[in-house]
Amino acid sequence: MPREPSQTVLDVVTYIQRKLDPTLAYRFACRVGMCGSCAMTVNGVPRWTCRTHVDKVVEKDQITVGPLRNLPVIRDLVVDMREFFDKWARAKGEFRGRQTKADDFAKVEPQSAPRVLVDKGIECIGCGVCYAACDVVKWNPDYLGPAALNRAWTLVNDVRDEKNLERLRAVAGDAGCHACHSHVSCTERCPKHLSPTAAIAGLKREVTKAALRGDL
Amino acid sequence: MTYKTETMLWMAQRASAAVLAVCVVVHLATIIYAVQGGLTAAEILGRTRGNAAWFAFYSVFVLAVSVHAPIGLRSICSEWLRWRGASREFVLVVFAAILAWAGMRAVLAVFA
Repeated sequence: MPREPSQTVLDVVTYIQRKLDPTLAYRFACRVGMCGSCAMTVNGVPRWTCRTHVDKVVEKDQITVGPLRNLPVIRDLVVDMREFFDKWARAKGEFRGRQTKADDFAKVEPQSAPRVLVDKGIECIGCGVCYAACDVVKWNPDYLGPAALNRAWTLVNDVRDEKNLERLRAVAGDAGCHACHSHVSCTERCPKHLSPTAAIAGLKREVTKAALRGDL
Repeated sequence: MTYKTETMLWMAQRASAAVLAVCVVVHLATIIYAVQGGLTAAEILGRTRGNAAWFAFYSVFVLAVSVHAPIGLRSICSEWLRWRGASREFVLVVFAAILAWAGMRAVLAVFA
């Protein structure tokens, strides 16, 4: 494999497919860290390959590239992301507003406390790195995982959303936020520097409050 | 198990952890004090027997352990052994009862 300046792991995988083994299956799209589709395991660590320079990860002139952990492999470096996104749906990860198009725009102060919390988690692009880094997903396959719970947390803090209680029920329990051991692997590995750990802790607090109120 | 029960178990484990944090510190401090003071077993028993405050403290300690340990073990059973369902819950209830019985037996032996 020829070394190039600023060579990324995605460059390496692409070179292998184009020059050495055209049967190699892998996934990518934007190549600039926007789409999140090129996540793979590099030297045992889940990463975006397009944003991982070979210089940063190479050990004794070698790197090991594999598919993301905790997801079924379709072929080579391509994993099946269905379960990952199904869990977003199970965590009630879709927005449901209470206004109609006849209503005026909702006014949300950018500096208001709930909106600040939303901002901290909203930039997730669903790459699956946190999910692959999570030990609890490995131990408990039903666990919704950091990304789905982070998504739920952004909606819990969305003052326009009306599905809150239903969502808190969906994320409570053994497959939800209470399964998290706060290992912080998701936060450590998130390429967007988000903290699903903090989001999950927030969900635990909100579920507890709802339980104490008798709403759960 | 419903999400409600799971939530209550989680809350019970957190609450018992908070109690244990205080109890363990007091317990360790008491041990260090007793050892440094050169107390004999007879002297220790002289202080604990009939002491309602001591009895109440260690009863709370035992109760907190009986709540905390089985819930933690429950997660270990499911994550490491893939053991869930009614058989796990039954064994853990028995385990909690044994902890409470053995703990209270020890407390009563030093109190009464």
